[in-house]
Amino acid sequence: MVVLRDASDLLEYCLDLGRSLGASYVEARFEHKASRGLVYRNGEPVSGGMSPLAGIGVRLLVDGNFGFAAFDRLERDLAEEAVTAAYRMAKNSRRPRPIDLGEPVANKAKWTVDVRQSLAGVDIETLMQTADEMNQQMQGLAQYTLMLNPTVADKHIMTTEGTDIQGHLEHIFMFVLLTAKGKTGSEQRFLDITQCGGWERIKEGRVIEKLHEETVQLQRAASEAKAVKELMDGPVDVIVGPEVAGIIAHENVGHPSEGDRIMGREGAQAGESFWRDLKIGESRVGSEAVTVCEDPTIPNTGGFYLYDDEGVKTRKRTLIKQGIANEPLLNREFGVVFGRQSNGAARSSAYNREPIIRMANTYFEPGEYSLEELFEDVRLGVFMKNFQEWNIDDRRYQSKYTGCESYLIKNGELTDTLIRRPVLETTSVGLLSSVDAVSKELRFDFPGTCGKSDPMQGVPVYAGGGHVRFRDIRLGGVG
Amino acid sequence: MVDYQELKSLVDLAVDYASEKVEGIIAKGTIRRGSQIRFSQSQIDIAKRWEELNLEMFIIYKGAKAGFTERSTTSPEDVRSAVDETISFLRVLPESMFFAGVEDRTLQYRKIEGRYDSKIDEFTDRAPEIVNASIQAALDEGARRVAGALKFSKEMAYLRSSYGPTGETKETSFDLNVRAFQEELDYSGQGLSCGTEPTKSEGEMIDAGARAGRLSKQAVGAVQGEPGVYDVVLSPTVAANVIAHIPATANPFMVLIGLSALGDRMGEQIGPEWLSVWDDPTLPGGVGSRAFDFEGTPSQRVTIVEDGVLKAFVHNTTTARMYETESTGSSVPMQLIQGMKMLLPDNSNIVFSNGDHSLDELLEGSRPTIYVTCNWYTRFQNYQTGEFSTIPRDAMFLVRNGEMTPIKNIRISDNVMRMFSNIDAMGNDRTQVWWWEVQTPTFVPSIRVRNCRITAATQ
Repeated sequence: MVVLRDASDLLEYCLDLGRSLGASYVEARFEHKASRGLVYRNGEPVSGGMSPLAGIGVRLLVDGNFGFAAFDRLERDLAEEAVTAAYRMAKNSRRPRPIDLGEPVANKAKWTVDVRQSLAGVDIETLMQTADEMNQQMQGLAQYTLMLNPTVADKHIMTTEGTDIQGHLEHIFMFVLLTAKGKTGSEQRFLDITQCGGWERIKEGRVIEKLHEETVQLQRAASEAKAVKELMDGPVDVIVGPEVAGIIAHENVGHPSEGDRIMGREGAQAGESFWRDLKIGESRVGSEAVTVCEDPTIPNTGGFYLYDDEGVKTRKRTLIKQGIANEPLLNREFGVVFGRQSNGAARSSAYNREPIIRMANTYFEPGEYSLEELFEDVRLGVFMKNFQEWNIDDRRYQSKYTGCESYLIKNGELTDTLIRRPVLETTSVGLLSSVDAVSKELRFDFPGTCGKSDPMQGVPVYAGGGHVRFRDIRLGGVG
Repeated sequence: MVDYQELKSLVDLAVDYASEKVEGIIAKGTIRRGSQIRFSQSQIDIAKRWEELNLEMFIIYKGAKAGFTERSTTSPEDVRSAVDETISFLRVLPESMFFAGVEDRTLQYRKIEGRYDSKIDEFTDRAPEIVNASIQAALDEGARRVAGALKFSKEMAYLRSSYGPTGETKETSFDLNVRAFQEELDYSGQGLSCGTEPTKSEGEMIDAGARAGRLSKQAVGAVQGEPGVYDVVLSPTVAANVIAHIPATANPFMVLIGLSALGDRMGEQIGPEWLSVWDDPTLPGGVGSRAFDFEGTPSQRVTIVEDGVLKAFVHNTTTARMYETESTGSSVPMQLIQGMKMLLPDNSNIVFSNGDHSLDELLEGSRPTIYVTCNWYTRFQNYQTGEFSTIPRDAMFLVRNGEMTPIKNIRISDNVMRMFSNIDAMGNDRTQVWWWEVQTPTFVPSIRVRNCRITAATQ
């Protein structure tokens, strides 16, 4: 048995092996993640744990067919067996239309997220103190569960085309499940408050303050929210906060813009896309006020990276430009299919997953309005600050967002009246076409884990925008 | 490479080494080999292969100071260092409010039938051929484009607890999901096949392709569905996701963190009097079947719902002591977040009683009925009260006055507790469902639910 301690040697071995078997392209990626986790229920510890996850994923192209092998021990004979098996399976696939990756890519770089106090050096006592502080903010709720999960990840990608990229990421994954009980029943929120970067992000991201605000707001919603009949009598205006703007940017714009979906590769899982029947660069899918972008390069965001998992340098992408479908998210394979180039959207959630087209940070580009200007024009409407239940069909055409903390807007004023669970149930084009204004600010109020593919790949993303105003919406239900 | 005997010796080392330093340890070593073929546009996109060795350790440092670690470990030094590292971590942790002990008896386990396919290695080379045959079956039924994934795996595991129990398992499983489309995005159909013995199921896999193709053809011309209140007939695939949510949350941990509507419903009538549901780890051919749980407690059939009455939760030793009852052998290291698992009760196979109606009989009647063949994206507004929505996808039909019309673009927006109590008939087509949207293997027939709320986009 040959056990290699240096992953780089084994990456090179995989490249050589794949090439010698007859693969026209080989990509080998080593990833190491170190995670620690603490879970609390109602402030009391449920459990703690620590686990490293490491291994190598190898993707190879054989006569235009992809094979992928992953193994978790840095052993040469294991690498040989896995890569040979993947090669054989790829060769047996016999696609009528061979996969083409386009022009070779040979980037060499090292990148890292901005970190001042590395999570690796934060001791368990500090984690527990912070968890205690977080738990204190949620006291008074009927039930609350906290999951705190600092994770440090390193990756190294090499290809037979000469790419050699090393990346470093740190995330403080944090999730809470809140249940408030009040006069009008109970309300729940599943909240992701993940930060990307070092331990300093706890303060810079206002994690403690946000938890306190969410707790107070949820208790109010459970005690005071009510149905307001006149909102159901006809179309009303709806203003959404950056959290709801973010989920709309992600679900109604980001997902349908994924090139693999558009071309049917996710057909049996996450589905296809209504963008398939559009002319990119020409088809209108929203009003002129709508510009939605995707940008992995924004520092300390959940979806941050500089080179993707195919070694392509990433960049900002404008998915919808003034209402027109502008640019799909692409990796190398679908860059060729679309007659374009990859825009650096290939991500994998771990060493044992193939890189596929993913979002990173998706948002409504800020507009020109102040928040006051958005409200002052509304005779009757709803301000949906955040949401709980949501879903969208697998062509990404019909979505539903149910408000959690939502207020009545009347005669240009935002009132204190809390509306119980207003529902935005529309088509993507119906929703985006009704936008008439976006506020000036840009906030990423929606950290999330985006799921796609089979086996499932959950990757951290951010989503946001400013406040967005939708005109003449018929609500799907109140109370 | 580490072989199974070496894996066993690493597990033994972990238990022996840790036992000198802590109150107790359960260690489980697993060697797993998995493969998958993904396809779309009627051709294979990628073939995948995974090789994994996993050493899971639940360490009880002292009293209720307990925690979990797992890693791929192949040498005695790595095992010792993993134990030492975890002990250092646990030393400073407070006691867990969710740990009250583990199994401390050494018991006999029954043999579970139909859990291993001895010819699975031969299947690896034949798999692309099966995939292509399934694609062709869909095309032959009228599909224009076919997508899907075939996944299969085998694993061997050895478990040893410092409290006495030891056990070994050898398992195989597979699942095939085929989705067939017409040229249009709107007209699609799905076929599924899953189980434990792929080489005995190749015919079923091809049939799954044919079913997907047939449904996609039947969906041609689907019109916008109208919102309203309808009776719905849920295929086993949909029932496994929506209706089985209720027995899947008959779990004390779910109750305690607010993810179950069953906390105060024990002993109540929650479904029709002729409906029973079990958690059954003993079922031959069940993907979730197991002889013992992670603590080494023999697994047993648990009656969750009997004659419509909520009768029991699944338990491990901890929750059984909290609820003053016996463990049901349902202890599982459940992943709560990356890198952290906790011993919690969980389901093996959820099994519904079979019904006695044909699909045609379920769809007969004087009331407008919607037949839903597949769904996805189920999300809850409130888990404790049960308000949720889910999106039917693929072929669905409105049946009115004996006529079936394909429809599209609707959403089930209802309350899962209400739907469970409104079940009024079940099909005689009970089948195992385990796929992307159904993570717990579920044996369930088609189910008819009265007065279900259907919504649609307002603009």
